[in-house]
Amino acid sequence: MRYEYWLAAIPILTDRKKRLLREEYGDAKAVYYIEEIQLRFLDYLEEREVEAILRAKKTKDVEKEWERLADQNIRFVPYYDEEYPKRLLQTADPPYALYVKGSLPREEGASAAIVGARKCTPYGEQLALEYGEYLASNGVQIISGMAKGVDGAGQRGALNGGGRTYGILGCGVDICYPREHIGLYMDIQASGGVISEKPPGCQPLPMYFPARNRIISGLSDVLLVMEARQRSGSLITADLALEQGKEVYALPGPVTSQLSIGCHQLIRQGAGILISPEELLADLGIRNRSTEHKAEQKSDKIEKTLENHENVVYSCLGLFPKGLDQLTAETGLGARELLDGLISLELKGSIREISKNYYIRVR
Amino acid sequence: MSFSTILSAAIQGLHVDMIHVEADVSNGLPVFHMVGYLSSEVREASERVRTAIHNSGFQIPAKKMVVNLAPATVRKKGASFDLPIALAILSSMGIFPGEELRETLVIGELSLDGSIKEVPGILPIVMQAKEEGCRRCIIPRQNVREGALVRGMEIIGAEHLKEICRYLNQEEELEAVTGGMQEGLQDIQEKEALDYSDIKGQEAVKRAMEVAVAGGHNLLLIGPPGSGKTMMARRVPTILPPPALEESIEITKIYSILGMVDKERPLITGRPFRSVHHTVTKTALAGGGMIPVPGEISLAHGGVLFLDELAEFQKPVLEVLRQPLEERQIRITRALGNFVFPADFILICAMNPCPCGNYPDYNRCTCTPVKIQQYLSRVSQPFLDRIDICVEAPRLEYEALTDGGGQESSAKIRGRVCAARKVQQKRYEGRRILTNSVLGVNELKEFCHLGKDEEALMRQAFGALGLTARTYHKILKVARTIADLDGSERIRQQHLKEAIGYRTMDKKYWR
Repeated sequence: MRYEYWLAAIPILTDRKKRLLREEYGDAKAVYYIEEIQLRFLDYLEEREVEAILRAKKTKDVEKEWERLADQNIRFVPYYDEEYPKRLLQTADPPYALYVKGSLPREEGASAAIVGARKCTPYGEQLALEYGEYLASNGVQIISGMAKGVDGAGQRGALNGGGRTYGILGCGVDICYPREHIGLYMDIQASGGVISEKPPGCQPLPMYFPARNRIISGLSDVLLVMEARQRSGSLITADLALEQGKEVYALPGPVTSQLSIGCHQLIRQGAGILISPEELLADLGIRNRSTEHKAEQKSDKIEKTLENHENVVYSCLGLFPKGLDQLTAETGLGARELLDGLISLELKGSIREISKNYYIRVR
Repeated sequence: MSFSTILSAAIQGLHVDMIHVEADVSNGLPVFHMVGYLSSEVREASERVRTAIHNSGFQIPAKKMVVNLAPATVRKKGASFDLPIALAILSSMGIFPGEELRETLVIGELSLDGSIKEVPGILPIVMQAKEEGCRRCIIPRQNVREGALVRGMEIIGAEHLKEICRYLNQEEELEAVTGGMQEGLQDIQEKEALDYSDIKGQEAVKRAMEVAVAGGHNLLLIGPPGSGKTMMARRVPTILPPPALEESIEITKIYSILGMVDKERPLITGRPFRSVHHTVTKTALAGGGMIPVPGEISLAHGGVLFLDELAEFQKPVLEVLRQPLEERQIRITRALGNFVFPADFILICAMNPCPCGNYPDYNRCTCTPVKIQQYLSRVSQPFLDRIDICVEAPRLEYEALTDGGGQESSAKIRGRVCAARKVQQKRYEGRRILTNSVLGVNELKEFCHLGKDEEALMRQAFGALGLTARTYHKILKVARTIADLDGSERIRQQHLKEAIGYRTMDKKYWR
């Protein structure tokens, strides 16, 4: 197995050529012992690839690295392994091997990817959280990239919903990127897994991330794009998902929002529209397990329990932040009443202050 | 021809030291010696004085002249000893009788032609002279109004050395002014051209400023560039209670030492407003120098210190403010001794919510979360801890700039502020507390007692908003002020809620 790991971890050599080599010689051990002259004789290997293999033979301490994998509880799952996700095998370019901390997504049951901008609005973040929670609590596995913004929110939502979620990284699975998500990184390992095609110790480089996206879309049945700018990594993921034959859904937003332009483009191209998590669940053909997530009813209920001028303030707030001045103008309340209402609402947990005196509705 | 002595004064920090300027003219080699721990500008006085005496029509004898500035342990600085040195020499030469200058303080800089130029620090010097029992001060004519602020002191304003000699020989009368404060006090109200009624909208900021001033709380404004933060901060002095006479004099003394008083209307009757640019150095802000002079924080004493673009200030410079913000004065220690300058001001800071200033307007803001975090963390937590009130200053809309009618005037707000301050004065009578902002933890327990409902509200807030102990105390203090503004003995729920709305955000909430 350590020879398999050795082959998988060779840089430069593409997954396709690794597979070719392995299939031609039977297993990785045989590949390891190919003579140099013979290697140079293979017409599908370029000079630099041969060099890479030779270098890997000379410099890599395979034994040691293999032990370290075991120490760190990192599992090595090559493409021919039984555990290797079937969903990925059906894609055009499945990774040669996966490194996993935690577990791999289950084959049975639906899985949904939630992706979107890192620099998102509270709107995108909040809805990613809600979709993640709702879907996960109904048994849908949530796949995402553990990035800041939408990705992280979707996965946090899934954890809140008590479901399973999988973070696909663009670096080694022993590295938490971004660092701020260390809490999320640990939680995901406990109820799901952290997965990467890069060997442990591999640093997050920008060029790894587009390739990472094909695993996100590959592991999921549907892809939900919450927020995306006009040119965005999420749109790349959406394209990959379409190539892989997956359903793509996009969340509409205000047409004036830069961060919804990408989503609107997707919708124009024929993506599904995310109207509510319930509808999505129905589209996926899954019966709703719980009834408490009726968003509209809940919001109505809240409004009924609020006092009069809290109610006025609450009804003016949405998922796009509003400042005091704008709220004064919209509610017609004085500075003191307005603040009174806002703080009452904040204490009840109905709204949240996201920047000084800028508020959004939370539920 | 022999020995003579004249009284003058030197400024050490805010303190005035009486200096005896002694001169002796005797037979010997013709030299001019000056002794007495002099800085170089005082040493240079010898050239100025000799030329000025010569140009005033007196012959300098070829004799040994020694000038001593006593006490010799006090460091002397500045050009204000020129005139007393010249008069001491002239007196030793027998130009006028030495007894004429008894109980008289002399101060002034000499020009080479013998004319007398203005000097800084007249007010504190004349006040000290009065305390020391002087009855007359001879000072430069430009400084007469300033000197005349001291009640009962006879002030002689002189323009030329010759003039003084004739006056001392009773050949000529110089106009003497007897000091009194009345003149300066007449036009207190006149100068305040700024008014809150100029600003439309921004109700929340105005209200926050009112609360800040009423309780002496420091204030942080967060808002995009061009939202009128400076404009509004400038108007804060107009709602501060007008300074009492003693306070005016205290403020004027500081300005006098730096030579910053108006020649015509020396008494500072309004509250100072000092706006400091973010390139300011530690010394300029706190005060300093070999013999320290007051810095910006002392110039803002009794008024407002405004720091725009707070996040652009160098961290060490801001940290300098921490001690004065607690103690309301700054203590500067140099080899020469300890110097204490008053620094009791309301701090108003302004900053952008993010480097580009547009957060949370997602269509315009171009900053990444990391950048915003870095920007905000330039202001240290201990510094933020000293700011009780934080409020958003929204972008000014066009209407706000054009239409200025129907707004509350500064006078009206000031009325409420004064009432609230009175309540506080009465409550803290006999203690060393003037406003709610300086309440310590023990006093909070005593004066900010919460009822059952209020207690429950705070407990809820503690959990829901993740308050720290420090924020909790700040909220109590601010709530106390709001209740005082309301004329309410007890702190009620609405007061607490408003105070919670003004809390400074903890780091973790700033994304």
